[in-house]
Amino acid sequence: MATTLGKNNSGASSFESVGRSIPRVEARAKVTGKAEYVHNLRLPGMLYGKVYRSTVAHARIKGVDVSAARMLPGVHAVYTAADIMKLVPDPHYGPAFHDQPVLAIDKVRHVGEPVALVLAADPHVAEAAVQMISADYEELPAVFDEIEAMTSKAVVHEVLKPAGTFPDLKHLKGKRDTNIALDFHLRRGDAQKAFAAADHVFEHTFRTQQVLHVPLEPFVTVADPTPNQLVIHTASQSPSFVRIEIARLLGWPENRVRVKVPYLGGGFGAKLYIKLEALVAIAALLAGRPVKISLTMEEQFYQITKHAATLRIKSGVSRDGKILARECEVWWNGGAYADIGPRVTQKSGFTAPGPYDIDHVSIDSYALYTNLPAAGALRGFGIPQLVWAYESHTDMIAKALNIDPLAIRRKNILREGRPQATGTLMRDAGIEQVLERLARRMQWEKAFDHEGSDNDKGTIRRGRGIAIGFKASISPTTSVAIVNVSADGSVMVNCSTVDMGQGSDTAMAQIVAEALGIPVEAVTLVHPDTDVTPYDMATLGSRSTYHMGHAAKLAAEDARDKLVALAQEVGLSAETTPIPDIFRKKYGMQAGNIVGVGSFIPPYTPPEPGTGQTPDATPFWMIGATGAEVEVDTETGEFKVTRLVNIVDVGRPVNPAIVETQISGATLMQLGFTLSERMEFDAGQVTNASLADYKIPGIRDVPAVMENEAVDMVQKSGPFGAKGVGESGTFGVSPAIASAIDDAVGVRLTSLPLTAEAVYRGLRANAGRPLED
Amino acid sequence: MNPFELAEPRTLKSAVKLLDAGDESVRVFGGCTALMLMMKTGVFQPTRLISLRGIESRYSKVTSAGDGSLRIGALTTLGALGRFTAVKKRAPVIVDTLRTLSNVRVRNVATLGGHLAHADPHMDLPPVLIALDAQVVTAATAGSRTLAVADLFTGYYETALARNELISEVVVPARAGRRAAYVKLTTRGADDWPTLGIAVSFVTDGKVLTDARFVVSAATEKPLRLASVEAVLNGATVDDALLARAGEAAAAEAELVGDARGSAAYKTELLRVHAGRALRKALAA
Amino acid sequence: MTTHRTIAFTLNGSPVTAHVGNHQNLVELLQGQGLFGARESCAQGLCGCCTVVVDGQAVSGCLTMATLVDGADVRTIEEPQDGEGGLDAVQQAFIETGAFQCGFCTPGFILMTRQLLDANPHPSDDEIRHYLAGNLCRCAAYPEIIKAVRLAAKKRKG
Repeated sequence: MATTLGKNNSGASSFESVGRSIPRVEARAKVTGKAEYVHNLRLPGMLYGKVYRSTVAHARIKGVDVSAARMLPGVHAVYTAADIMKLVPDPHYGPAFHDQPVLAIDKVRHVGEPVALVLAADPHVAEAAVQMISADYEELPAVFDEIEAMTSKAVVHEVLKPAGTFPDLKHLKGKRDTNIALDFHLRRGDAQKAFAAADHVFEHTFRTQQVLHVPLEPFVTVADPTPNQLVIHTASQSPSFVRIEIARLLGWPENRVRVKVPYLGGGFGAKLYIKLEALVAIAALLAGRPVKISLTMEEQFYQITKHAATLRIKSGVSRDGKILARECEVWWNGGAYADIGPRVTQKSGFTAPGPYDIDHVSIDSYALYTNLPAAGALRGFGIPQLVWAYESHTDMIAKALNIDPLAIRRKNILREGRPQATGTLMRDAGIEQVLERLARRMQWEKAFDHEGSDNDKGTIRRGRGIAIGFKASISPTTSVAIVNVSADGSVMVNCSTVDMGQGSDTAMAQIVAEALGIPVEAVTLVHPDTDVTPYDMATLGSRSTYHMGHAAKLAAEDARDKLVALAQEVGLSAETTPIPDIFRKKYGMQAGNIVGVGSFIPPYTPPEPGTGQTPDATPFWMIGATGAEVEVDTETGEFKVTRLVNIVDVGRPVNPAIVETQISGATLMQLGFTLSERMEFDAGQVTNASLADYKIPGIRDVPAVMENEAVDMVQKSGPFGAKGVGESGTFGVSPAIASAIDDAVGVRLTSLPLTAEAVYRGLRANAGRPLED
Repeated sequence: MNPFELAEPRTLKSAVKLLDAGDESVRVFGGCTALMLMMKTGVFQPTRLISLRGIESRYSKVTSAGDGSLRIGALTTLGALGRFTAVKKRAPVIVDTLRTLSNVRVRNVATLGGHLAHADPHMDLPPVLIALDAQVVTAATAGSRTLAVADLFTGYYETALARNELISEVVVPARAGRRAAYVKLTTRGADDWPTLGIAVSFVTDGKVLTDARFVVSAATEKPLRLASVEAVLNGATVDDALLARAGEAAAAEAELVGDARGSAAYKTELLRVHAGRALRKALAA
Repeated sequence: MTTHRTIAFTLNGSPVTAHVGNHQNLVELLQGQGLFGARESCAQGLCGCCTVVVDGQAVSGCLTMATLVDGADVRTIEEPQDGEGGLDAVQQAFIETGAFQCGFCTPGFILMTRQLLDANPHPSDDEIRHYLAGNLCRCAAYPEIIKAVRLAAKKRKG
């Protein structure tokens, strides 16, 4: 195709490529089963690794007997921590603390922790050998509850070793004899004084349960020790971090580690930072052969999860419903390894008072170690837990003061230009627009029929609820992109953003096509490969459209400038000459490249220690609200969600159709966390580690009516007005449904998940006949 | 999974012969779904499996006798079972139950014989077949015997079958004027193992109920008939008060087990309410 | 009686032979043939990622012993289709409605949708939901999948 550089469109308000609902660039590969995943990869001479895991929650390891496993015919090697330490003397990794050993050293801290690794050419042999390993433990007292962990004598880590990798976590301090990995505090105004002066003070405590991501492609990594490099093929959301962390562990320069990531079969925050990579890399180096580890679905339950949390909120409110002061305490159950929990504690912690304009705020947020599987980032990064608490709290206040739920929100929401709890002014944050749009779509101000339509027995009551939440982006983080124009005018974008289903390949192609003014079909993406794609902090926190989108746009603009200069040099006009002709004139044939580079890091000011105040907490805000309608059976507590309306501010959507699937997908995932998903434990052992017993939403769980909408907004600082979308749909789901249940039958639930039994028990309690066990 | 031997006999008789009475690691299978799950998790490690897939094709069919009874070959897959016209006509409750039983792929291979012999109390068809007064016919080297489906289950994953005895057929007797229904209650999403299963059947002339059968499952260690409910129903005329009394009797008699799907107390309340609803569903059937 | 055997079957229309162990499943057998569109995920027959069509019937590859497809007609998502660009109406409908995100579960949904429409060319939404209840999509593209099935039904008719 002979494309000509289009006009520079960056200042325009309508676009050629951005804003179009084109199909995903990889659509054909995905419907033919040929899309590339690490799952597909087999290398010559490859060994399969199977992990022997701890069966106890907290113990000293007295001995691990691998002798029988080593003797099994077909077993290539069996490794324990001692073998790992021959290659890496201090094999601890992690993004916030270097607290996680490649294989357990001296101590195990949760059930399922890797203790030994078997390698064999036949995975069935490796599996059989794992069955022959045994370990001798001296059990230690364990702590599972986040509140108990604050004061427990059971200490998960004797010493805390901050990683010092990320600029926003530089303040982490090494500590001894505590389970508190991080405590974050924010003070604005004087909450205590304001409580004393308020007409009403309300205080409620909320709980959320431990859940997990369950990507249908479980964790998988292949490491290939080639003569010059260690090549790691991994289902990771953060190839750049994997390279840095593996190079650090091995004491190698970054360019001797090459990390390649094809498509991911789902990520949702699970496949962030470093997971299987260290173990697989070191095993491959020890064995001198390629090694692959694919976790089973059951093993996923011990890899990474979402924080259970306890949240206490206290508000001082005037008699007409103005919130004057708010105090939030949040305890995050981080499990045995910090992973990225400290960042969840801080970044989410500072939005704990909600999207409300409150003069006096106090926040204390604690990341705690316990003897459960580690918790990290999961679609919303702590925000859904907070919204669950502050929006339930808002409706409980409204009910007590006999104020309409919409009215109390209108009275208190943070409006454009007002300071948030950190002191950062709200900019391009469509809180009001999202709330008003939700109210209209729910027809909130019209009378609502609480009687069911299909209600001949009179046992059905209907109810409705609304909730709104917001989230700051992760900052400061860096993205770098390369735009490479070939002599025929086709364009490749090299970037380390991972397409795990969110559609980033398509979005980046659209952004680059827009910036160059060429058809989107002329642009292809080079998948993350640290040898050829430059640094990116990670694909997380809905940051890629904004951060990598910026970098890709800057790289495209750089390429455009160079192409214009090249045309000038050879006496042509870039605006009228087809791109191939410019190259041909310069090089006498179809030859050469134009390489544009873009690098982006948004401004950021770290919060003041102690007060958490900063004028620049985030480059953009994400807003999400949900309205829910439910039908509750008053005889049994059984209920169904009949309608979900989801409204978000994503700035200007790059691809409206993909944006809509992101909203509804996020909403339905959160529906699972609201209604059916819960990790069950017995002494730290997960008792429902399978999809038969851990119920993620299926197609029959989708509410009959789902409506999704992105309000008409522009993020002025974003690439072509866009910002992130992956998480916003999760924010309001849980509290909206809980409020709808309360509206229907007068039962207010404060713990997730919301079960029919809990509703029934509430009905019985209201009737003065509590259900006895 | 470790390697094991696989035998593929061509007749039921030779399959029975291959079953070694003493060896727990030798098992037969039809669809091999439940067994495969047990082998994958290492719960069961076979030395030899016997596939019944190659035996006489009559064990994969449903035939309807002149009296209206159904003879269902034990190797009939659950998917095929629901497609036989005779089943649709004579026992529509089976077709209705199959709609939410596992999923299409499992129903395509799982067999009725395996479904019963596995004796998982969460299975959907056992309570339904008990409500229909069905019987199983077994084959063993010693010969054949017939027993009620209700007597097949002796406990949690336990049956009255000897180690060298196979289910060969299931017989659903004819009964004029019979109505039946199954209610599967799930509490953690639409598709789950049941929190509670309720199967009911009775004969009615439009007013009075006779020959009532009321079975609970999933919250019990095996599917159980509740005699007190049946006593309330037999000879009675249907009205709201009767259905309420049936629910009270069910809640009083059943000793339900709590688990992650619900406490025993809550399941009892579900039974109290849904007993009457199950009876209404059968009346409407 | 042995623990391994050589089997012969038809794979996407072509005859193949393979040496397999009784303890291996159909997904492993297909991987050995270089086909990765059937993927083991939940390992329990619940998610449908490993869907394979054997003798015209959809099965869970993870619960199917490889040896049992001896002599069978086996079809996978990789089978070329007659429609435009080698895609059938169902695949085209999934693309046009954006009925997937990560794509890991997509082959299973497409194969099951073909089975559904073969048996029931005009399914209601309730029938679509019941038929696809054994396939899980963690990206939860379910609303778009329902639209895709409806569109595929229309395309097949037209």
